Amino acid sequence: MTASADLIDALAGIEPGSPTAALRERRPDFVRYSQGSHDVLLAPADPAGVSLAERALIALRVATIERSDALAAHYRAMLGGRDAPTVGTPRLQALLEHVERVTTAPRTATKTHLDDLQSHRFSPRDLVTIAQLVAFVTYQVRVVAGLRLLAQEPRA
Amino acid sequence: MTERPFTLDPVEWAAWLPTVEAATATPEQLAALDKSPASARTSPYFLTLAHDVAALAQRSPLFNAVMYASGGLPRAERELATVAVSYINGCVYCASVHARRFSELTKKPEIIQRLYDEGLGTALEPRHRAIVDYAETLTRAPDAVTDADLAALRTAGLTDPEIVDLTHAIAMFAWANRLMLTLGEPIDPL
Repeated sequence: MTASADLIDALAGIEPGSPTAALRERRPDFVRYSQGSHDVLLAPADPAGVSLAERALIALRVATIERSDALAAHYRAMLGGRDAPTVGTPRLQALLEHVERVTTAPRTATKTHLDDLQSHRFSPRDLVTIAQLVAFVTYQVRVVAGLRLLAQEPRA
Repeated sequence: MTERPFTLDPVEWAAWLPTVEAATATPEQLAALDKSPASARTSPYFLTLAHDVAALAQRSPLFNAVMYASGGLPRAERELATVAVSYINGCVYCASVHARRFSELTKKPEIIQRLYDEGLGTALEPRHRAIVDYAETLTRAPDAVTDADLAALRTAGLTDPEIVDLTHAIAMFAWANRLMLTLGEPIDPL
């Protein structure tokens, strides 16, 4: 992955050589591991029990709830390039309810929710992946929003 | 759901899922745990996250850079931002850990105690006020941040590199709070 393919730069409108690009270069680990987290959560070598399409769908749902047009467009395009998950199944419905809860009201989550999801064939590993993915996108939304302010600021 | 009060005292965390056991962990899991805090091999939280080792192996160095990288926003101010975010999201465990870090760094535990007692609107020095206000806006409504938020940070004396660090600290706790709140719960120390 080259620097020019950095997703946060692209979505925050950070141009190579710009003052905001220089600000990001101060913190190479922020750049490297933010992109790396995206890559391992959305396109892992071994997706285990959460399919690539389900991962794109989860991320799209979070970006949509958080009203991040830029990230929603990114994940919608990713989902479009993958085999669609089977909609309307109790498993997918339980998954999407959990995604909404973790995004909007994480303090209302209980052990019972995780137990219910395990009854829909999500393993402990899958449930960690789902929590990481939802939580990562809420991070990404805020980094993009904050950096975009700096990148788009009118400069004298 | 039991409502626990926010506290400066230590709190423990119990996992809701079976955790990875350090004794039977894979080499990849051990490597990811060892990039995490020193206690990770015995921490229920990190032993939960080790189920998705690829994600943990990216997240731990990111977390460490955001909270501890040298220069830029002073560490105590990163801690203050993460306490404010944890307070808004209701993560009693996260707030306790980072309230104590802030208090160790500043020797002023009364600042966080007042924030707990009076809420985010409590009287704060101008830099702290600007940091908490930005943490609140970016946490509650990331689509609603504007140039006015940026101007308020600069008026309070934050430089652009500090604003980048602050943004990442706030965002990192959108992430951390959701893991802590949805994979387990705070418990009293043993």
